Amino acid sequence: MKKQPTRRDVLGHVVRGTGLLVLGGAAVHLVRRANAEGAWWIDPTKCVNIRLGATGVEVCDLCATDCVLPLSAIRAVNEFSECGRCCICPAYYDVRSEVGPDGLPSRKLCPRDAITREAIGEVDPEDPLNNFYEYTIDEDKCNGCGACVMGCKEPAGLGSIRLEVRYDVCLDCNRCTIAQVCPDDAIVQKAIDLPGA
Amino acid sequence: MDYRQTRVISGKGTGAHQFRESLNGIGFDPAGRLYAVGDREVKVFDGEGTLKKRWETQQPPYCVAVRDDGSVFVGEAGQVEMFDQSGNRVGAWEDADRFGTVTSIGFHEDHVLIADAADRCIRRYDKTGKWINDIGKDNNTKGFLIPNGYLDFSVDETGVIHASNSAKHRVERYTLDGELLGFFGHFGMVRPENFPGCCNPTNLTLAGEGKLVVTEKAGPRMKVYDRDRKLLGFVGGDAFHAECKNMDVAVDGQDRIYVVDTVRLSVLVFESEGGSKP
Ligand code: SF4
Ligand code: SF4
Ligand code: SF4
Repeated sequence: MKKQPTRRDVLGHVVRGTGLLVLGGAAVHLVRRANAEGAWWIDPTKCVNIRLGATGVEVCDLCATDCVLPLSAIRAVNEFSECGRCCICPAYYDVRSEVGPDGLPSRKLCPRDAITREAIGEVDPEDPLNNFYEYTIDEDKCNGCGACVMGCKEPAGLGSIRLEVRYDVCLDCNRCTIAQVCPDDAIVQKAIDLPGA
Repeated sequence: MDYRQTRVISGKGTGAHQFRESLNGIGFDPAGRLYAVGDREVKVFDGEGTLKKRWETQQPPYCVAVRDDGSVFVGEAGQVEMFDQSGNRVGAWEDADRFGTVTSIGFHEDHVLIADAADRCIRRYDKTGKWINDIGKDNNTKGFLIPNGYLDFSVDETGVIHASNSAKHRVERYTLDGELLGFFGHFGMVRPENFPGCCNPTNLTLAGEGKLVVTEKAGPRMKVYDRDRKLLGFVGGDAFHAECKNMDVAVDGQDRIYVVDTVRLSVLVFESEGGSKP
């Protein structure tokens, strides 16, 4: 089961967002905004793209399409410590695409090319299968469409990629427009413990 | 060759013959009794699938193997526990560094082979528990690539180890000294003889006439290859719960194939349509 965001997780996201916004003097506002009535949060036990047991079903892309922002406030996040660092990652590759001469799938899965990877450890340039890979999601490109999240879910992957609301961009609308259409009632308001709250 | 399911043994529940939360490993003793480990127990079933004996293990068990002399070896985290046929604990090999997660055990002559999924290699010991060497640790990835966290192998009568290197989508063959002899298999999502997804096959066992039986996850399948590693048949679809992974597999003296459904906590028995071979 996926863990709920801890104070540390939330703080990490906010601190990252704050770092980007600090010149604009938005940090105080950001903290206040996320604390108002609790923040909008994706329940990983409900969202069809994340929850265990929902396999062989369509990916839900409403988080990408129904946010009021032009680029949704929801992003895919890869928890490195839980990632298997596989060569043929079912979140990185469209594993159903034709296999190329290098023995790897010929197409990537992300429609926005937001996932990059880098071979880590003792790199073998001759045989990609000999390497571990670190997968990074470019948050400027990701729109939270959920395809990689579904691809990484157990048992196909290890479930290290999940969708999260980015509190540094979320407007904390009174009525989140995604919550209104979410078929799984997975977007809920949750009291989030922030420093100074 | 077609395989059909002929029996189901155990299952999820609170009965003596059932498992409550986990069923991880199976194996046979020389008399043809099935050993199944899960929760914190060893359960022994006769050829009809009737529970004959059960006993507790110190840690949650991952795998079980029975030596020709009837000693029962159970792989756990940090140790291998040994029991006699009555379930009396006769000892344990404890080594937190070398037995991080013991997911497979095999025997060849006086050697005991132990897969440590935590350190991604197979250890060779003598019968007294003295470490001799590691297998797979010196390959070009410094260990097997097993993102699924499970390392399985089977050793043939000549002492060749057949091990799943799942993220490389291969079954590799090693000598007892750790020399890589060769491998078969590669990634592919379309042709059934290939290994799909991020990391398959997850589990394997050798069967009669040089056959190899493997299981895969996402979607769960059992496949049988002949001596030349040509696909003979497979079972998939609804046979296993879709969420199954790391499904242990064993073969009895009649070449019947036993596969663990890790979600329903049952052992499914398959026979070839032509009947099992004596
Ligand atoms: S709309 Fe709901 S089910 Fe769909 S991706 Fe968003 S949280 Fe998940
Ligand atoms: S959620 Fe969609 S856009 Fe974002 S990284 Fe995953 S596949 Fe790409
Ligand atoms: S609260 Fe508003 S900005 Fe935030 S995810 Fe929902 S719709 Fe987007």
